[in-house]
Amino acid sequence: MSNDKYADYVQAVQKECPEADAGEIAEAFAKYEEEFYIPPQDAMRSVLRRFQSGTTPAPSRSGSASTQATKKVATLGELSGSDRDIEIEVAIVSHNIRNQMIRGEEKQIAFGMLEDNPWEENGQRTRWDFKDWGPHANLAAGSIVRVEGASVNEYNGKMSLNINQSTRIVVLKEGVATPVPSNDPLDISNIPKDGYICVVGRVLARRPDQIHRKDGSGAIDVVRGRLADNTGTIGFLSWEPFDHEVGTLVKIDGAQVRSFRDTPELNFGRTTRIEVYHDANFADLDTLSQNSLTNVAALRDGSRDVDAVVQITEITKRTFNRDGEEKFLWSGQIADPTGRCRISIWDALPFKENELPVTVQVKGARVRAWQGIPDITVDNAEQLTVLENPPWDAEMDLTNHAVEVKLSEVVAGPSRVGMMTRGMLVSVREDSGFIKRCTECRRVLRDGVCFDCGENEGTEDVRLRLVVDDEGVTAAVLVNKDASLAVLGMDQQQMRSKVEELGDLGFVQHVRELMLGRKISVSGRSIVDDQGAMVLADGFEIEEHDAQMRASELRAQWGWA
Amino acid sequence: MERARIARQPAHLLLASEFGSATLNEKGSGEYDPSFVITKLGAKVNRIVAAGLLERLELRETSNGSSLYQGQIRDPTGLHYFSVGEYNSEMMQELAHQWTERLNDGEPLLVMMTSKTRWYQTDEGAVYTSLRPEEACVVKRDVYANWLLDACQATMERMNQFTASLEVEPTLDAFARAGLPTSLLAARNHYGEVDLEPFKLNLMQALDIAEGRIEAATTPPPIMTLPEGEADAPSGDGADLDAFLVQAIGHLDQGEGVTFDTLLKNAVARGFVREVAEAKLDDMLDSGVLEEPRFGWFRLAPSA
Repeated sequence: MSNDKYADYVQAVQKECPEADAGEIAEAFAKYEEEFYIPPQDAMRSVLRRFQSGTTPAPSRSGSASTQATKKVATLGELSGSDRDIEIEVAIVSHNIRNQMIRGEEKQIAFGMLEDNPWEENGQRTRWDFKDWGPHANLAAGSIVRVEGASVNEYNGKMSLNINQSTRIVVLKEGVATPVPSNDPLDISNIPKDGYICVVGRVLARRPDQIHRKDGSGAIDVVRGRLADNTGTIGFLSWEPFDHEVGTLVKIDGAQVRSFRDTPELNFGRTTRIEVYHDANFADLDTLSQNSLTNVAALRDGSRDVDAVVQITEITKRTFNRDGEEKFLWSGQIADPTGRCRISIWDALPFKENELPVTVQVKGARVRAWQGIPDITVDNAEQLTVLENPPWDAEMDLTNHAVEVKLSEVVAGPSRVGMMTRGMLVSVREDSGFIKRCTECRRVLRDGVCFDCGENEGTEDVRLRLVVDDEGVTAAVLVNKDASLAVLGMDQQQMRSKVEELGDLGFVQHVRELMLGRKISVSGRSIVDDQGAMVLADGFEIEEHDAQMRASELRAQWGWA
Repeated sequence: MERARIARQPAHLLLASEFGSATLNEKGSGEYDPSFVITKLGAKVNRIVAAGLLERLELRETSNGSSLYQGQIRDPTGLHYFSVGEYNSEMMQELAHQWTERLNDGEPLLVMMTSKTRWYQTDEGAVYTSLRPEEACVVKRDVYANWLLDACQATMERMNQFTASLEVEPTLDAFARAGLPTSLLAARNHYGEVDLEPFKLNLMQALDIAEGRIEAATTPPPIMTLPEGEADAPSGDGADLDAFLVQAIGHLDQGEGVTFDTLLKNAVARGFVREVAEAKLDDMLDSGVLEEPRFGWFRLAPSA
């Protein structure tokens, strides 16, 4: 009888869910009313939903409250930045552990890279970074795992996976026991700018050092040093004790390459394996120290412990005041057959300034760069040894020497002085011709306004702004006034009449007719930064080639004669 | 990131046959990501330097009322199709205008152009490539010949890479280890087997031209043989011309349509007046007998 009062409601529910048992429906209404004081009209919706879904859970049962479903995906591409609680099978590509201060507590976390689609051989795989906040003991490089309950992190458009403490890791395939991809050893000269690598080299130098934490919470003991092989040298920084003596040949697997400014450096950490290596044919310490001499072309911003033989071609003393104390430095130009750059000497010169050019051996110098041009910094005159004769042809005039560099190498950096390169001219920009420069800073004015100094009447200058391409790389070229006029075969007055005759754009088209699609060579200095490569040219030539000869040469070269 | 995205794309040197036969494109997901055409030899190009004889250049009104110059340049290996529209610089539009007039005056123009590459697909799924010149100029023969040789060298390098890739396992890793570009892998996957022989013939012909051996490089124009008794009275009369064009297109169409040029050459060879035939083609387009799936290519309308 107690259930009869629900008859109308039961009927209503049955109308929607014909299969539902009238008794059960009535029971459910009774439950709502008795246990929760929910009158049948208010419970109607809930009851209806329960019978529609066909399940028969008791509403009072706890635990099933969580309705958020785990998102199971096959590939990383299916995930979006806001996804939480996802499940995916991945291959762990690399796995590293580091200590991090989290809310004042030092904690270990793991990080690395993972790839989706782990089962298909040679299939398309997407690679993401991950962070493991557990860290989970069963996560290892090379293994294939199912990650249950991870979340997606999107930062600056880059997606990564957060493996949380509550995430479950199911190992589906144990990792091959090689920690961090065990690569074949690389030549030092081939070490990339980042990544994990293996290298064999002789310890050239080693000294303990300390790194002070930025937050002032103390210092970390590290070891700095240098490794060498036949192809070059590279600095290293070991976060772990490094006891190998200078001269020891070591194999280092899983070193992380990081770049300080433009200079790559090896970092040794917990997962790096360092072992003594035996190779009787490996160059000895003396040879390697000799070979570790670098040249101007190889100087990189941020390099340390640089040894080189260079010619100082110009030097001037600069004095300045710091904290009321008069200080000085010598700053000048240096050159060797591979190029030109600058030097700064913070000490008395070990030679007379009127004896230039002077060839010196530089030892243990630092390299900084200003406007992209390397500057060898010498702190102490003892780092300089004056040589009687240069190790190259003493007749060579290095002050005007331009070293030919392929455009692909120019673009790869660093910035160079005294270089020459060639390629095809693919663009003459419309702002070629007469320009006005700011009288204060020489910046090019736009509509009579300098970006830095504001309105300015400006001084007139001539330049060509070009783009030159070769073998799939591109560089901007700015040709100065003298070289521009020379290649156009005009003086400034003739050029003015030409511009007046043709108009600004007409003049640009005139220049295009002369040189678009032509092979050119430009000399001067190059600046390479994150906006690409630019050559500031004071020399510019349109090359003339005899097509008939070239065709015959190609025919011979390809065996079609 | 931001900087890298707007980095200028280098220009590559491509002969018309390689660019024209490309059907693969690649574009990143971002709004400003450059779009590339990937050729059979694996060149991945957003910009090319093309050169050749300016064969045709006409001003057309587009459906939205803006004007568009459409043209074609011929190098020894085939045709590049290009267009210059209001999206181009003022200078380029002005140049197209001048060239059109000079061409109409009968002046032969050997031109060089730095161009963006364009890839498009018709509703029927046919894929075409074309050029949008950014900067261009008229060049002398020796400049053209040197460009030809540079383009030949670049093509030869790609052919060598292509041949080398046949020995390499078709995976990204293996290609990277062998120093081969990933675009070549994409090309291999997309195009399947590629016959290098036509490319080689193209190069030989280009070398002949650069060397000044024009005769060796000269091939007869495509000759059409019509069934007997069809063309016995080519009077230049409209109806005959109609029938001839329909028949010629039906005969020569390999699926892509027939080029304007081929049609006119054949019409002239049959004794029709070139200008009349040109006008007729236009009429037939308007009346729906023919359609022009790609600019300069004609085929019979399905209903015809």
